[in-house]
Amino acid sequence: MMMDSKKRKWLLLGGLIACLLLVPMFVTDIYILSILNVMVVYSILCLGLNLILGFTGLLSLGHAAFYGIGAYTTAILMTRYDFGFVAAFCASAVLALVAGIVIAIPTRKVRGDYFCLITLAFGEIFRLVATSWIEFTRGAMGIVRIPMPKIFGIAIVTEAHFYYLGLGILIVTYLTIKAITDTRYGRAFIAIREDELAADTMGINTPIYKIMAFSIGCLFAGMAGSFLAVYQTVVTPSNFRLEESCLMIIMVIVGGMGRNLLAPLAGVIVMTVATEVFRSTAEYRMLIIGLIMILVLLLRPQGIFGSSSFKS
Amino acid sequence: MPILDTRDVTKQFGGLVAVNQVSMTVNKNEIVGIIGPNGAGKTSFINALTGIYKPTGGQVLFQGKDITGFPAYKIAKHGIARTFQNLRVFSNISVLENVLIGAHCRIDNPFHHIFLRPLRSKKIEQQAYAKVIALLKNVGLEEKKESLAKNLSYGEQRTLEICRALASDPELLILDEPCAGMNSAEMDTLADFVKKLRDDGQTIVVIEHNMCFMMAVSDRIIVMTEGAKFREGTPAEIRNDLEVQKVYLGEQEVE
Repeated sequence: MMMDSKKRKWLLLGGLIACLLLVPMFVTDIYILSILNVMVVYSILCLGLNLILGFTGLLSLGHAAFYGIGAYTTAILMTRYDFGFVAAFCASAVLALVAGIVIAIPTRKVRGDYFCLITLAFGEIFRLVATSWIEFTRGAMGIVRIPMPKIFGIAIVTEAHFYYLGLGILIVTYLTIKAITDTRYGRAFIAIREDELAADTMGINTPIYKIMAFSIGCLFAGMAGSFLAVYQTVVTPSNFRLEESCLMIIMVIVGGMGRNLLAPLAGVIVMTVATEVFRSTAEYRMLIIGLIMILVLLLRPQGIFGSSSFKS
Repeated sequence: MPILDTRDVTKQFGGLVAVNQVSMTVNKNEIVGIIGPNGAGKTSFINALTGIYKPTGGQVLFQGKDITGFPAYKIAKHGIARTFQNLRVFSNISVLENVLIGAHCRIDNPFHHIFLRPLRSKKIEQQAYAKVIALLKNVGLEEKKESLAKNLSYGEQRTLEICRALASDPELLILDEPCAGMNSAEMDTLADFVKKLRDDGQTIVVIEHNMCFMMAVSDRIIVMTEGAKFREGTPAEIRNDLEVQKVYLGEQEVE
């Protein structure tokens, strides 16, 4: 019986992926495709953030910085050093992973609220460096004219091409995180979220597992950043502000944290659509987004599809 | 050779000596009880053994190996599992996952195998699953394996916590006040369960206030007071010891 429900799950997932692959056949509107691409980027980011926030319970306010590290790495390598996209993409992922480890090591033993502050500070430092180190990052002007990516000879040009590329990265992200969280590693992350001291006495080396969860989440942020760089062809520091980190957190919470890996995607869809629909209202749109979040938290504290909520 | 051998274990918090040169041994397949009035340092002693505190003096030998000052996760790997005085089950996840987490350090699944040898990784996870299901069946929680731990009754949560500790195949199981908050019927069931574990070959240390329970389960009792070991003997000896009664009379009635 268990096998049956498992099979059904895989069938559903296969069907979902097939539908997603077919989307560009029916949707030709560039505007809608571009919104889908934005959703894909946030989906990759939120899957990674869910590992940090939903599984391990670490509230990171600096996720946009790792996203930015990925984006700037690809931008600089492709514009100045003639890297191909695939090589730049891998470099972005690795660099974001390394940055994640570097931040996670000193913070492995600090308490929740301090962790929050340190990641907040790191996010701001990253943005300020990207703005002020003009020779390297060209400051607020950003890095422009990032070449179109080529993957093994296939040029990625149209919105639909980018959609497939992004979807590919998203699927890899999902399958990787699924594989990790289905084993004792995923359970160890959850144990840390639930009760760190008890996790310790279960034989879980909690500092190592925290570093692991955090840096793997950052790795995928780096991939998302790399995709953003070639998709936008421009990266500027304003892509990686604190608001971006907050938006990702909101998406994960609204969608639902924890075991249901696809739940955060519901948050991505709701928040992206809301942003687009209320785009004309300019600043007031944050008001509306805030309202959506409050409503979701009041009516469904565990998120739209979530299974676990914050500890009361 | 005793399984556990502590030599003059001491834990000081600044000027306060919480545990003062406690030496004790635990032999294989026996239940050792530790009793003592509130604040006698029983839990501090256990915390010093299991790596939650670092002892400030003395030595802890486990199966002949010096494990003094090891971090908690390493001590768990060496084979000491414990429960907590104030329940520490993982409340927002299922009973099954709670026990699987308990088995964490016995699931030999290196990280790179997830990607490089996925079939082996899956097989090992499935073996762990089967083992945990058998364990849950044994304690009568199998039907509730999908319920969230917080939805279990208090007694069931206590059982779950012991079950989670057993999942790591411990050489030594330490129960910290397992009867807290239980009625006498539940206590009897627990006493039977603990004795059955011993008969199956488990070595156990129990800390408990409740004298009836301790007299019923312990093979040997150690009395602690003011951080130090005060007496050691069989339940009958301890019961008839006038000095022990005096220690207790200051705090509570002798039952």
